[in-house]
Amino acid sequence: MPWIGRKDAEAFEVFYDRHGGAAYSLAYRVLGERGAAEDCIQEAFISIWRSGGKFDPTRGSVRSWTLSIVRNRAIDVLRSKASKAPKMTFDDDEIIESRPAEELTEEEAMRDETATEVRGALSQLPDEQSKVIQLAYFGGFSQSEIAGMLNVPLGTVKGRMRLGLEKIRGELAEGLA
Amino acid sequence: MNEHEHDRRLEEVAAYAIGGLDPDRVEELEKHLAGCKRCQEELRWLSPAVQALPEAVERQAPPPELKQRLMAEVRADAAAEEKRTRAEERRERADARGGFGEWLRGLHVGGLTWRPLAGLALAILVIAGGIGYAVGSGGGSGGAHTWEVEPASNGIAAKVVTEGDRGELHLTGVEQLPKGRVLEAWVERDGIVEPVPALFAPDQAGRASTTIESMKGVSAVMVTREPAGGSKKPTTKPFVQVPIES
Repeated sequence: MPWIGRKDAEAFEVFYDRHGGAAYSLAYRVLGERGAAEDCIQEAFISIWRSGGKFDPTRGSVRSWTLSIVRNRAIDVLRSKASKAPKMTFDDDEIIESRPAEELTEEEAMRDETATEVRGALSQLPDEQSKVIQLAYFGGFSQSEIAGMLNVPLGTVKGRMRLGLEKIRGELAEGLA
Repeated sequence: MNEHEHDRRLEEVAAYAIGGLDPDRVEELEKHLAGCKRCQEELRWLSPAVQALPEAVERQAPPPELKQRLMAEVRADAAAEEKRTRAEERRERADARGGFGEWLRGLHVGGLTWRPLAGLALAILVIAGGIGYAVGSGGGSGGAHTWEVEPASNGIAAKVVTEGDRGELHLTGVEQLPKGRVLEAWVERDGIVEPVPALFAPDQAGRASTTIESMKGVSAVMVTREPAGGSKKPTTKPFVQVPIES
């Protein structure tokens, strides 16, 4: 993203238009409040703008880099709050694509396909595996914390997390095949 | 490490990938990862699954005001950055041609800055016969003006004759230059000293002249001895200074 170093505001606007929606959705999913999600996005995108091009293309796409920054910031916000009360839902019906397909660009359609695969994989996971993955990724909880919350041994959480993630990865690999 | 122990490591790799590894285990796992190809491959294999997780989130439309606030901050940042860059460029340009100004600005005596000090020095030198004094300032007719500095203790007299924008600097009583040295004239405009491109040298009779293409805004003309090829900034103190009064 050479435009970061050039401080090109117009290019940044295009960047926001492309990834801002997914980033906001993620922040909202983690934080569960619109105001907090907006603050998170503002801070995360400004940090990207001011980062001067720390993006490393060998470690993933611009989008995954951006979303990981947003996710980490949102988790930091959660952790900084005295009481950890993330919006955690395990209802797969909530994971739906709200926009009609004809509004999607080709790139978005591919992402939509991926999203569908991930949703499908998540929905097929045994509930206990889906829970530990969502608690870790969207809730920012560590394995020990999850073990405490679910009242199960740490080793069980570790096993469920790995199995669940392997299954999602397997579904993605099948989709690509 | 046996297979069972390694399986436990792989479980930690999955937790690490998703950001759920206990913080006190992170450092040790990272050390292990650095030297374990199998765990590195596992991490690479799992990464797309982790990266896909946020894509599965229910879409929420961000409010338009969020973009407005964000872009307002970005544009303010960009404008400030541009302003900083321009100021930096101006400073670099001034540095490139303002060495003598810097030198003068560096002279602080009894709280006087270089401008009054330069005037004071000139007055003292006039009295003491240092570098000479100006006579016939602005004198002339038909659009031509002459500013002169009479011979001082160094025996050098200077005269600047202007006509229109153009000026001619004439020196007399100049000693022969050592090999590899030239005379370089400088003009001061708005406190910034710029080199005059035409380098010059005295003839056998000690006369030396150069042309100043633009006298617009010039408040003083100075001369220094410089290495062959000239300098971007004065490297020696001027031995001639002719104040130009507008």
